Parts: sequence; structure tokens; C-alpha cells
Amino acid sequence: MFLQFKFLIILRAIWFAAQIAFFGLIASRMVVPALADIYFEYYVAGVVIMMLYSTSVFIGYDIFEEAEHGVFEYLLSLPVSRRELVLGRSIGGGIRSFIFVGPLIAIALFVIGLENPLNFLIAFLALFLFAFGVSGMSITIAVGLKSSDHFDILMGVLNAFIIRLSTTMYPQTFVQDASQAYAVLTNFNPVTFASDLFRWGVGIEKYLTMTPMPLAAIIGLVIFFFTFTFIGVTIYERRLEGGGWQ
Amino acid sequence: MKAVLHVIEHDFRNFFRYKWWLAGLISMNLADLFIMAVVYNQMVSPDIAEQIISYFSFFAPGVTIIGLFASAYMIGREINMEVRRQIHHYMLSLPITRLELAIGRLLAGGLRGMVYMSPLLLTTFLFLGFPSLPQLLVILGALFLLATGISGLSIATAVSTTSLEKFVTARGMVYYVLFFCSSIFYPLSLIQDLGRDGVMPQFVVMLAEFNPLSSGADLIRSFLLGTPEFTFNMIRNLVVFSTIFATTATFAYMKIIQRK
Repeated sequence: MFLQFKFLIILRAIWFAAQIAFFGLIASRMVVPALADIYFEYYVAGVVIMMLYSTSVFIGYDIFEEAEHGVFEYLLSLPVSRRELVLGRSIGGGIRSFIFVGPLIAIALFVIGLENPLNFLIAFLALFLFAFGVSGMSITIAVGLKSSDHFDILMGVLNAFIIRLSTTMYPQTFVQDASQAYAVLTNFNPVTFASDLFRWGVGIEKYLTMTPMPLAAIIGLVIFFFTFTFIGVTIYERRLEGGGWQ
Repeated sequence: MKAVLHVIEHDFRNFFRYKWWLAGLISMNLADLFIMAVVYNQMVSPDIAEQIISYFSFFAPGVTIIGLFASAYMIGREINMEVRRQIHHYMLSLPITRLELAIGRLLAGGLRGMVYMSPLLLTTFLFLGFPSLPQLLVILGALFLLATGISGLSIATAVSTTSLEKFVTARGMVYYVLFFCSSIFYPLSLIQDLGRDGVMPQFVVMLAEFNPLSSGADLIRSFLLGTPEFTFNMIRNLVVFSTIFATTATFAYMKIIQRK
């Protein structure tokens, strides 16, 4: 089903290339000397997480497609419990986003380099939790709304705020200097946990937000994953009963 | 002329049907300005800060251009849908010449961009200061030229793509190339430096220099911030861009709606 989004995938790949080849490269010349040395690598790692987030969100669009084309009825006729269905969708959504982001992670590793493969392996595995959690969040929002247009708009706005109020593009110390309120929100953002974890995994340890690493980020992601998976399961189950998706 | 106004009115009515979408878009633009630009303010090196005053001030005209581009480009999506669903047959049955129809669509796309962009431009003025009346007229005229050119570019893309997915992909490519290869996010001098160092190919540097989005953003900055200096090249770039794409779109649209 994911491959149906081939044009969207092409689009995201172009976005990835434009982000690192233009914005990353040029912005690294614009920042303060203390950050300039590592900013390009820092930004490339952030773009990988932005991409992982945006592809994990795709599952929500599938929910609307299925409701529109009557696939829900078919799914409900399968010998699978509602809980298994949602959990499967959430995990499936996360895994398929990894399939897409995999080559981009390889490009990022080529650009950044890899200091400690074990750290990277730990970060890579923990990022699955992030992808599953984002898929769960997308499912939760999708089943809570009746219109795919509203979903599209809400995800766009959420994406704008969740990415900008995270450390994907800039270190926490600069967010703190800019605004205390932004810094508080950035600290509790799962995208910050994922960005920190990925950077720790590839050896960009300057400007990490969370301590001790990787434990703090992993705990954050575990909480995020469980929260949205179980909220998603509960809401999805309720909506499925009695044709609530129609 | 009356027929053109009717077409513009039709497209404006369509535009306001997307009010939630527009609200979403404007909140994304404001998130860029009030979160991203505010944080980058702290990150910009003193050398660059000397050139641009502050990143927030520098980026405010940029975000105005982003909003103008996104909203003026929306007309293409509607035209692509009309062509795919053959709604243009209805358009052809109206007592309007094809030229009037094409001009009406083109101008509507541009004017919609101007309407959407106005609150962003006003926000820019509120934070950076108001220009003098002649400067304001030049800014509005230049932005209208830019919006019409973007509308033309969008219509030309819409009539040359056979599916919504292809249109959206083409739109994404145009967006990313024009946005990132311009002075919207960073000063042109940085791209030129990278070109001189051999990091950025020369054609990319040239594209950034002639990019109408660079000209639009820099024109507003020149009046509100005094940097970069205003040059007539900015107006020239916008006139050339607008003329090329307005003409191409008018003829391409007239041709596609006559196709059996």
C-alpha cells in the first residue's frame, strides 16, 4: 500500500536532497563559529528524523482511503481482534517508514560518518519506537476526525509546530536563548528525543539535550510509544464499533 | 473586461472555499517566522548579522514571499482538476472568449496570492516598519508581477501534467528549487561565496541571482531594512519572469481547453 504513494516518496526524496544540498550547506556558513564546524552534519541528522516523522504519518491517510473505499468492512471480517489490528497497523506504519528512510539514513551515514557502530545500533532500534509512536499518533488523530481534508490540515499544522519546537534544526541551547517557553516545549517533544538519539548514535554528541544518553531519550520514546499506541487502540476500537468511520 | 472580472470572481469564490486550508497554511508560515526565525536569531554569526540586521528581520520578507508563492500556485491545482474532469467543457460553453477566460484565470491566481499574502506583509511592516507611499506602491506592484508570474507558472505546470500526483510532484520540485535556491532563507552573498569556493555549481548561483523569489524578497528588504541595496535588476527579473510565464500560461491554457 505504501508504494501507492510513489509520487509522494519521490517528492520527499527531492525535499531531502534540497534540504541537505542547499539549506544544510548554506545555513552552516551562516551560524556562529562554535556551531559552524558541525552544523551541516547536525542538520543532516535532523532532516533524517523529520523524514522519519513525516513518512510515519502516512498511515493516517490510509485510514481515510480505507474508509472511502469500503476496506474497513473487509478488515473487520478478518479473524483478527481489533486490538491486534490497530497494533499491527501502528507497527506496520512504523516499519514501512523505515523502509523508505533506510536509504536516506545510509546517505546520512555517508555524509556524517559513524564513530561507534554499537551506539548507532542502539539508536536505530530505539528509533523504531519513535516511528511506531508517530504512526499510532497519526491513527489516533485520523480516527478522531471525519474529514480527510481536516486531517490533512491538522497534520500540516502539527508538523509545522512539532518540528520547529524540536531540536531537529537547532540545538536546545539556542532555543533556550530565544525563548524559555519554546525551550520547555522542545524538552518534552518526542522529535527532540529521536533527534538526540540519532545524533548520539552517529557520534554528534555536542549540543545533546537529554542526559544521561541514551537512557533519557529511550525512556521518552517508550512513554511516547505506549501513550499513543494505547490511546490509538482504545479510540480505534470504539470508532470501529457500529460503523463510526462512515 | 467584464467577462474577465466574472472569471476572477468565480476563482475568488473557489479560493474562499479552502478557508481551513488557508488558515492551516498561514499558521505554518507564522510558525516559521515566530519560532524558526526567532531561534535562528540566536544562531546567526556576528558577520552575517551585520549584513542582515537580525535573522527575524531578514526572514519576515522571505516568509511573505513563501505565502505569496504557495497561494498563487493554488490556481494550478484547480485547473489541473478541471482539465482531468473535463469541467473546461462547461467553461467553453460560457459567453466568454478563450483569451478572456485564460487572462481571467491568470489574474485570479495572482490576485488570490496578493490577498493571502497581505496579512503576512502587514506583519512584516509591523515588525520592520512601514515603507513610504511610493515604496509601498513599488512593493505592491512588484509583488503583483511576481504573483502573476507564479500563477502563470502554476497554470503552465497544471496543463502539462496528466494526473494530480504528477502535478503535485512537479509543484514540489518547483517549490524546493525556487525556495532553497533563492535569498528567502539566507542572503544571496552566502550562495555567491559558496559558488566562488567551488562548493556550489555556477548555474545554481546564477539561478539564485535571477530567481524572482530572491528579487521579490530583496526588494522588500531594500526598502524596509536598507540592505541589500535596491537595484532595477530586481524589477527587471520580475518583469521577465512574469512576462514569460503569463504568456506561456495564457497560450497553453487556451490550447488545452480547445483539445478534443
